[in-house]
Amino acid sequence: MTGTPKWIRLLIEALVLAGALLILAPVAIMAFTSLKPDAEIIHFESVLPQQATLDNYREILLNPEEIPLLRWLFNSLFISVSVTMLVLVVDTMAAYALTRLRLPGAKVVFAVIIAMLMVPGQIMLVPMYLILNALGWLDTALALIVPAGAGVFGVFLLRQFFLGIPADLEDAAAIDGCTRMGILVRIIVPLAKPALATLAIFTFMGAWNDFMGPLVFLDNVDKYTLPVGIALFQTSYYAEYGITLAAACLATTPALLVFVFFQRYIIEGIALTGLKE
Amino acid sequence: MITDYSTTRLRGVALCIVCTALLCVGCDSGGRATVRFWCGFTGPDGRTMLRMIQAFNEENPDARALMQRMDWGTYYNKLFVAGLGGRAPEVFITHVENMERFFQAGFLDAIDDLVDGAAGVDTDDFFPYVWGAVERDGLHYGLPLDVHPQGLFYNKRLFREAGIVDEAGDALPPTDRESFMDALTTLTRDTTGDGRTDQWGFVFTWLRTNMATVTRQFGSTYFTPDFDRCVLTDDATVAAFSFCADLIQRGLVPSPEHFDAWIGFRQGRVAMAFEGIYMLADLEKQSDLEWGAAPLPVLGDRPAAWASSHVMCLRAGLDPETRAAAWRLMRFLSDNMLDWAEGGQVPARHSQIDSARFQNMYAQAAFARQMDYIAYMPPVPFIFEFFSEFDRAAERVLRASASAVDALREAEQKVNVAIERQRRLTEAGGGP
Amino acid sequence: MTARRFWRIYSGYLFLVPYAVLFCAFLALPLGYGLVLSFFRWEMLSPAPPQFVGVDNYAEAFQSDYFRNALWATFRFTLMAAPLTVGMALLIALGVNAVSDKRRAFYRAAYFAPAVVSISVAGLVWRFFFQGEFGMFNAWLEPWGWRVPWLTDTRLAMKSIVFMTLWWTVGGPMVVLLAGLHQIPRQLYEAAAIDGANAWRRFRHITIPQLRPVLLFVAIMNIIGSFQVFGQVFMITRGGPEQSTRVLVQYIYETAFTHYRMGYGAAMSWLLFLCIAFFSVLQFRLMRER
Repeated sequence: MTGTPKWIRLLIEALVLAGALLILAPVAIMAFTSLKPDAEIIHFESVLPQQATLDNYREILLNPEEIPLLRWLFNSLFISVSVTMLVLVVDTMAAYALTRLRLPGAKVVFAVIIAMLMVPGQIMLVPMYLILNALGWLDTALALIVPAGAGVFGVFLLRQFFLGIPADLEDAAAIDGCTRMGILVRIIVPLAKPALATLAIFTFMGAWNDFMGPLVFLDNVDKYTLPVGIALFQTSYYAEYGITLAAACLATTPALLVFVFFQRYIIEGIALTGLKE
Repeated sequence: MITDYSTTRLRGVALCIVCTALLCVGCDSGGRATVRFWCGFTGPDGRTMLRMIQAFNEENPDARALMQRMDWGTYYNKLFVAGLGGRAPEVFITHVENMERFFQAGFLDAIDDLVDGAAGVDTDDFFPYVWGAVERDGLHYGLPLDVHPQGLFYNKRLFREAGIVDEAGDALPPTDRESFMDALTTLTRDTTGDGRTDQWGFVFTWLRTNMATVTRQFGSTYFTPDFDRCVLTDDATVAAFSFCADLIQRGLVPSPEHFDAWIGFRQGRVAMAFEGIYMLADLEKQSDLEWGAAPLPVLGDRPAAWASSHVMCLRAGLDPETRAAAWRLMRFLSDNMLDWAEGGQVPARHSQIDSARFQNMYAQAAFARQMDYIAYMPPVPFIFEFFSEFDRAAERVLRASASAVDALREAEQKVNVAIERQRRLTEAGGGP
Repeated sequence: MTARRFWRIYSGYLFLVPYAVLFCAFLALPLGYGLVLSFFRWEMLSPAPPQFVGVDNYAEAFQSDYFRNALWATFRFTLMAAPLTVGMALLIALGVNAVSDKRRAFYRAAYFAPAVVSISVAGLVWRFFFQGEFGMFNAWLEPWGWRVPWLTDTRLAMKSIVFMTLWWTVGGPMVVLLAGLHQIPRQLYEAAAIDGANAWRRFRHITIPQLRPVLLFVAIMNIIGSFQVFGQVFMITRGGPEQSTRVLVQYIYETAFTHYRMGYGAAMSWLLFLCIAFFSVLQFRLMRER
């Protein structure tokens, strides 16, 4: 802001910095606590571990038979990547059709999609279970991958972006004899790279962190994803806090890394959802 | 060139290994009867059970048990839904009080022919109360794995400091209401002198099981004898709830705060807690805590200890071969029960309880002394509805937001509505 | 219309087909199936087949004090969480916007980071903070002689959940508002400064009106999200103490998956949907009128 005295700007930045540190603190505390032995956790003295130990991590990583963490990691990756690819392909085509092809009825279709943004996912849990059971997909990765392609968020996001792409480019390409598919692949997709990257990351993180889906649709411990696997550490009667928090850290790290590397795309993508229209 | 050749060969070898491995896996599962086994054992329990399953698989080359575990809350939700989808596991664990639900839904297979068969077990070896609990209409629908009674965990150091000791100077846990109240009034105190109590004689941990023990000791039955109607406003239940609320009102016991109370015990700031034997694993990790285990003190007019059992059930409608393999797994687990007991359980069979190995397990043996008066929760199909209402009433009364009579009356009404709904449904659908 | 022309217009729908199939099978179908279920009595505990009961399930919901309690808890959560989150998000966005460009990206990322943490992990960690006996908050307050019953007091528990939610969700709206602030033309502020308008007046007469559409969008999305609250409550309090934090989605989950009353659960799901739809339409209307 112009015209604001320097000391006020410094004060504001100090406050912003303090807030940022506060908001990051819980994540740091989680990491520190995972390095504490259980006895130190229940007698809380300080945030930093007094006798830092890797025992909690060791117990998780050295018992692959009992705690198939790598297996869960692989499952999470496989499912998240598959969901992301499916969503990208399907949603790009749909959003393209809805924005660029001047289809009769596109407005109505889009209104329906917007309305679906409001539908709470839990409402469909029971019917979805019955449908997946009828398809014989329960306890397979398919149950988590294919239905994710029906999400409306991607279509919404891409449409917002496609609306901003000037039409003359396509018209020129059409005159050159390009097919619609050709236009989509050669012109729209390269232009929409930022939006596609955003959607990819969002979808990936959503699938990575999904808890309810794997919880309800998967039975086999070897097929679990990381978040649900981690719930195994929480017992009904008592908690092994150290191990649980260590597992939580291990599960959060990949998502945090993705975020740190791609945060610009993610954040610009979120901003995008709120601005057009 | 040479390097190229060797890498190619290396790749070839690797490929062969992978293929053979895949083939082996393929053959392996081909000739073996697969038994899926589901349980809610997580944490250390889950790991113990997993090792037992591995032992079973090594001993039985022609059968393969696959264990699935999740926490109990999720477990029951999943088990039931899986059963309806026809995807229930061959063998699964249920708590004895939840069995009725599965029985009513037609999920369970009677095991009497297997019990009496060539590879059977001696049913006289089971405690009659435990064996009787899995019986429906003269048939038995599960093999009890264990019993996990509630008992008294106490902090020996705090008892000694308060001078509650026997002749030898060892901490002396209370056995009846009088000694319990004495211990309570001595042990609950303000150690720092700042006017706030910071050491408690007793805490309510899990309200449901704590209140179950106390009400049973006062003589509650919760239902009419034919389980036709819920009765919570009887004198016994009201008296038990009032007794507990009174302890809190007098400042002898802290107001219940979820499960934090148990942490207080682990921290050494609480002298006594009524908890299940399964809490053992938790205490054994706490090297700085000098704890003891004893039978529960009798607070009412009769001894009683809340207990539950893990029961191994067989899914209805299995083919004979799988059924036989499933039964072998059940027998194996029952026979090797003492390995399981190490983690904090009491066996369901006399011979195992009497064994020297079990009697050497300190806490387990102490809690097992209550086997003659353990009390299961009632075997009703609407048990989850009953639990929600019972829990809520306990919470309201102990937190002093409702009187015992009011809270219990409301709970009773709500459970009876559920019973009524169940009955109408049964009549309408020609159900079980 | 010639076949060629017909093809030119309608072949575009082919692009829509893969998504439409998925949409119908895994969104529209379950939704409709749920609606049908809500008119049936279907208790999975009994072998009795589902039975058509008209609006009985809806009637039961309106008469049930548990449903009313859950609805009220959901409203309470929304009334606290939505304004607080949007307000804080605006405040933070204004603060971050005032920082120099170079460091802005860092702050933006920092405030957004908690959204990356999955709810099972976040719930676990915050439960650990709020613990009465060895929780970190109380350990810090201990020297001042305070012991706050974060999760065990019926009046405080929901506020604790809201507090945790604020941490978890403030980043999203903040980022959107920040982008909104960016789009306000600088000339407006410069002109106002020349006219001698002070900071407050510039905020009141330029920032707020210019930001209004974005602010409304953020508010709607937040309210929709707040009505669906479940994960935090499920992980931290399980609805306690004395059901003071048992929100609608949790009650629905319990009805369907603990008590196996599928029809009743489906009916309540639809009531929740109607609540959300009502508020969304109301706000869309407000947005149009301005």
